[in-house]
Amino acid sequence: MKKKNYLHNPATLKIDLMLRGTRIDDPVVKAWACGSSGVDIMLPEKTLVNIPCSEEFTRNSPYLIKKKGSGYLITDGASEVEVSLVERPAFYNRRTASGVPLSSIAVVHGSYTVITPSQRCDFFNRSIECKYCAGNFNVTGRDGVVYSVEEVLEAVEAVLKEKASEIIYFSIGFSDSDDGGIEFLKPYILAVKKNFNCLVAVEALPPKKNRWIDETYALGADSVLYNLEIFDKELFEIICPGRATLIGHKRYLEALEHAAKVFPSGTVASHLIVGLEPPGSTCMGIDYLTGIGVVPILPIYRPSANRALRIEPLDTEIILPVYKHLYKSIKKNRINVNWVRDISMVTTPVELKAIVNGPRQRSIVDGFYKSRLGKKTAWGLATLRRKLRVIDREDDSE
Amino acid sequence: MSVEIDTRPIWVILLLKASRPAFYLAVVLIFWGLIAMPTPEGLSIGGQRAIAIFAVCLILWVSNIVPLAITSLFAIVLVPVLGVLPKKETYALFGNEAVFFILGAFILAGAVMHSGISNRVALNIMKRFGGSPRTLVISIFLLSAFLSFFMSEHAVAAMLFPIVLEIAKGLGLKPGKSNYGKLLFFALAWGCVIGGVATFLGGARVPLAVGMLKETTGDSIGFLEYSVAVFPLVVILLAAGYLILTKFFPIDIEGVGSARAVLERRIKGLGKFSINEYATGTVLLFTIIGWIAFGEGLGLATVALSSVVVLFVFRLVKWKDIEEYVNWGIILMYGGAIVLGAALDKSGAASWLVKSSVGDWAGSPWMAFALFSFLSILLTAAMSNAAVIAVLLPVSLGLASKLSMDPVVLTYAIAVPAGLDFMFPMGTPAIAIAASSNYINVKESAKGGFIMFVTAWAVFNLVAAWWWPLLGMGYSR
Ligand code: SF4
Repeated sequence: MKKKNYLHNPATLKIDLMLRGTRIDDPVVKAWACGSSGVDIMLPEKTLVNIPCSEEFTRNSPYLIKKKGSGYLITDGASEVEVSLVERPAFYNRRTASGVPLSSIAVVHGSYTVITPSQRCDFFNRSIECKYCAGNFNVTGRDGVVYSVEEVLEAVEAVLKEKASEIIYFSIGFSDSDDGGIEFLKPYILAVKKNFNCLVAVEALPPKKNRWIDETYALGADSVLYNLEIFDKELFEIICPGRATLIGHKRYLEALEHAAKVFPSGTVASHLIVGLEPPGSTCMGIDYLTGIGVVPILPIYRPSANRALRIEPLDTEIILPVYKHLYKSIKKNRINVNWVRDISMVTTPVELKAIVNGPRQRSIVDGFYKSRLGKKTAWGLATLRRKLRVIDREDDSE
Repeated sequence: MSVEIDTRPIWVILLLKASRPAFYLAVVLIFWGLIAMPTPEGLSIGGQRAIAIFAVCLILWVSNIVPLAITSLFAIVLVPVLGVLPKKETYALFGNEAVFFILGAFILAGAVMHSGISNRVALNIMKRFGGSPRTLVISIFLLSAFLSFFMSEHAVAAMLFPIVLEIAKGLGLKPGKSNYGKLLFFALAWGCVIGGVATFLGGARVPLAVGMLKETTGDSIGFLEYSVAVFPLVVILLAAGYLILTKFFPIDIEGVGSARAVLERRIKGLGKFSINEYATGTVLLFTIIGWIAFGEGLGLATVALSSVVVLFVFRLVKWKDIEEYVNWGIILMYGGAIVLGAALDKSGAASWLVKSSVGDWAGSPWMAFALFSFLSILLTAAMSNAAVIAVLLPVSLGLASKLSMDPVVLTYAIAVPAGLDFMFPMGTPAIAIAASSNYINVKESAKGGFIMFVTAWAVFNLVAAWWWPLLGMGYSR
């Protein structure tokens, strides 16, 4: 079968690059990618992608990043496309007052900067960690690092000053508590909201009671993610034993459904990893999640040397229909697509438009959302909405 | 933080939020309208302004849009600012004996609760008399009433609630389903309500009413005098309450063995009778004797505050132990209500109001008594009972002179029914606490409570007509 050429459409190219990775022959790009899981490249039409380049599977990639004049190009041997290397944030070279490198606290992924204040996940202490996690994340059990609120604030200040991204994304692993980790994140969220006018997203595990979801919103989180990762129940139990036994597939769906009622449209999301379950099952997950008002985010599984969980065969031709299905489901259920955008690690619904309708023209709405005024408006509206919706019962005393 | 997220459409929330400023604007306009309109015949300028302040406070108290205490502070500010009373006199009214009596009563109740003696008495009475389903309900009912003779019914309900809840769970009663479960919690709530009107200490409403009466007329009501006057009402309501409850919720269990186990376990947990309990109990006993014997001469507040001093001198209690029991909001609310009452009276506004409103309906003393007691018991179903007194008493006292009625009797007509809300949780914390168990719901409370509402009003009027003359009290002076 003739190999398809994806270079002409940045949205499909992004998917193909994330799936196959790239080879690099330029020392500058190599240096960029050193120590990271991938390299951040800006494709045409401002499509941001983090391309795997260090894993084993990338050695066979048809793609190569090459220097051309003062810029770069990506070629598959037959044709090529001009790209640019995303500048590494300057703050990556700085340290906090306590001596912690800012790059180990905050990692920029396009519009999101991910901060994991505690790199602990209790699943590791019980040997029930998610099977894909150990190879991919810098998370450990009991002895994981915990950053102080002050250290995190220094990192956030650096991110925002440099305009590296506009959304601070807190993530936390599993801790055996009813609140899903939100009590732990509380001082961080409150401090960020108190000191900066930025949007905050929280990626946590579903709490046991819905009141913690309400509290997450009331604290100042503008978006929440409870990542189900795998929709198929049996595969979920095998691949995510900790999540399955201590939280449960059903609780994930319940928590997401409640969150979608509390948070604004398009701000509640859940990852479904492409490549760990059959595409049909991912599509069923997409239907279910969009039906309850949740945005499914479809990261592509990056196999590591010792964790080959990927279903085979897996290529772009197989997974493109899944992405198209995602776009149509989101549109059908009228979920706002402007929140989850411009992320290097995943293809976002806004980018999917180009797969369904062909390469896109930037719309005025798009431009507005990316402008300073648009960002300020988003922050203002999110703050106003919270003010209107949150009722503090302790205030209701006589 | 205890939060709730309002998930209604945002336009509904916006509309409702906008209604708040609109409401305030309306209040300001009413206030301004009442001040700016030509002064009606027979009313002084001061009286007109006092009525404007009263109208604003009335709206704010009824709507509860700002805390009751803040409305009272607002009244205290407006009275001197608008020149209704000089500022020195206004603030002096806050030093009313009733305010200090309530403060003393709060501290005493706090000390009693903190010592654990009230808990011990409650548990032992339930264990001693609660051998069967019937006697257990009766003991909870009477105990709630009895304890509410000495401390705020709110505090009694809060104290007994966990015990009754544990009993209900120990007996395996299903919330919302079990008749006996409903019976237990209604017995708790109604016992507190009925007991709360028996003395000055129940809901601290009576001291407020007496304080306002004293400021306005110079008359007063004694501690024992009041309790003797309402004694038949309390007895009849207790009997009626029990009959109504058992009719509505017939006992549906055979034995209460596991409840006894709960009580025994709790009593064991209390340990032995401590010196602190003995001493605090003794101070309370002497305080009650003091109120009865010297209340008239020394003043109720003096007796209460003396006991408070004794408690602290003998280190029976520390300030931080009782701080949570002192409801400063209520104290502020009472102070403001007294100021407003005095402003209405001294400016002649109260009597003018009566003449031009209820005066024509309440043609005879008997009618006036029936009307005000009805208004009081009706309003207390929807609003805080202290607010009912603050709203109705100044007007009713104005009527007293017009009809040559004894203002003391009219004070009773308002103060007693203001404590008798059996229907809704809004007016009565005891019912709100019982309803929080989920064993009873508002609908059931409203149904049974309505019969008690009618019974209470009728019995109260009958007691006034038949019992009070025997005590030398009459409608007329
Ligand atoms: S929850 Fe799973 S994916 Fe997340 S840190 Fe723990 S083990 Fe890793």
